[in-house]
Amino acid sequence: MSTPYSPDEPFDANDEATLAALGRIALLADPVPPDLVDRSLFAMTLAALETELMTLERMPEAAGVRAAEAAPTQARTITFTSTSRTVMITVAPGPDGVRIDGWIAPTGEVDIELHRPHDEVVTTRTDEDGRFAFDAVAPGPASLVARPDDGPAVSTPVIEL
Amino acid sequence: MAESRQKTVRDPDEVSLGDRAAHAVLEYREGRPAALEAVVREMTPLLWHTVRAQGVEPQAADDVVQDTWVALVRHMDTIAEPHAVLKWLLVTARRGAWEAVRRRRRDEKNRTELHDGPDPETGAHREVPSADPAPDAVVATNDRDRTLWTVFQDLPDRCKELLRLVSLADRPDYKYISEAIGMPVGSIGATRGRCLAKLRTLLDESGADDTWRHA
Repeated sequence: MSTPYSPDEPFDANDEATLAALGRIALLADPVPPDLVDRSLFAMTLAALETELMTLERMPEAAGVRAAEAAPTQARTITFTSTSRTVMITVAPGPDGVRIDGWIAPTGEVDIELHRPHDEVVTTRTDEDGRFAFDAVAPGPASLVARPDDGPAVSTPVIEL
Repeated sequence: MAESRQKTVRDPDEVSLGDRAAHAVLEYREGRPAALEAVVREMTPLLWHTVRAQGVEPQAADDVVQDTWVALVRHMDTIAEPHAVLKWLLVTARRGAWEAVRRRRRDEKNRTELHDGPDPETGAHREVPSADPAPDAVVATNDRDRTLWTVFQDLPDRCKELLRLVSLADRPDYKYISEAIGMPVGSIGATRGRCLAKLRTLLDESGADDTWRHA
């Protein structure tokens, strides 16, 4: 039986080597999800906008099913609400990507921004009935930000297009 | 032993993760987010393991890590001591993890009462699966690593958490990590500390230390 190591000895090179190996194995045993960093950075970018975060309304028939889990080949409608605004969007797959048709209430001309990781922000303006659209959007995580002229900016949670 | 007199094995001029995080916070406040992005890339594994060590399942751990980074952005202007931001992140991640564990237990309790109920024959409640990776789930590529990982599992939970986290950080960060997880100052750092001493003793007893020493 060998002599136990003393806790009070200086931290030595073998301690360092042991820890380095442990770190390496821990990352293999319980790997960090590969896109966690990118999703975190995207969430931080959105948080820095200091907008009011809207709530995702769940459709009664889809209770417990995330919108992102819906079959990607069919159109789906998602509604978001905040204290001041409601946004409804339909997301439909197209030949060149996803098409988003949306409507914001109360109506009035509002700037709508489409935020996506790594991409420039795309801005459009609603018509006077509050309708807007984004065409040929690449699939992936995204968030919409609405900037009304007469109220606080609101943003949707991140959705998977 | 005085902390200030400790000799590091690495280059003494090397800036630690905690230093880089502090610098990144100051940069971000000046409108330059690039340094913080680098810190997010570097520190996300440490936060992931901090959350997972509390028994949070992967999907929920993913959310807790993201929420921790979002909380940093939201509190950016109120962090009084940027040099303590590493500790702040670890404490925030641990609190988020405990909340996730409470939520899961509550959900499981509700589900059990609604659908499953106790086993009709034994009356026992169903086992809640552990969120920890199984020891044998490891893809250890050689005997040394396999031995180390096996022996590591025999340590007390507190030691496992401490060593798992410091193994993903730099020496000057150790004291912030021990503080953040409520371990006494001096648990590891200038001296080997109790946990690492125990691990190395177990490694010796396993007969693997020769391979370690001459590696």
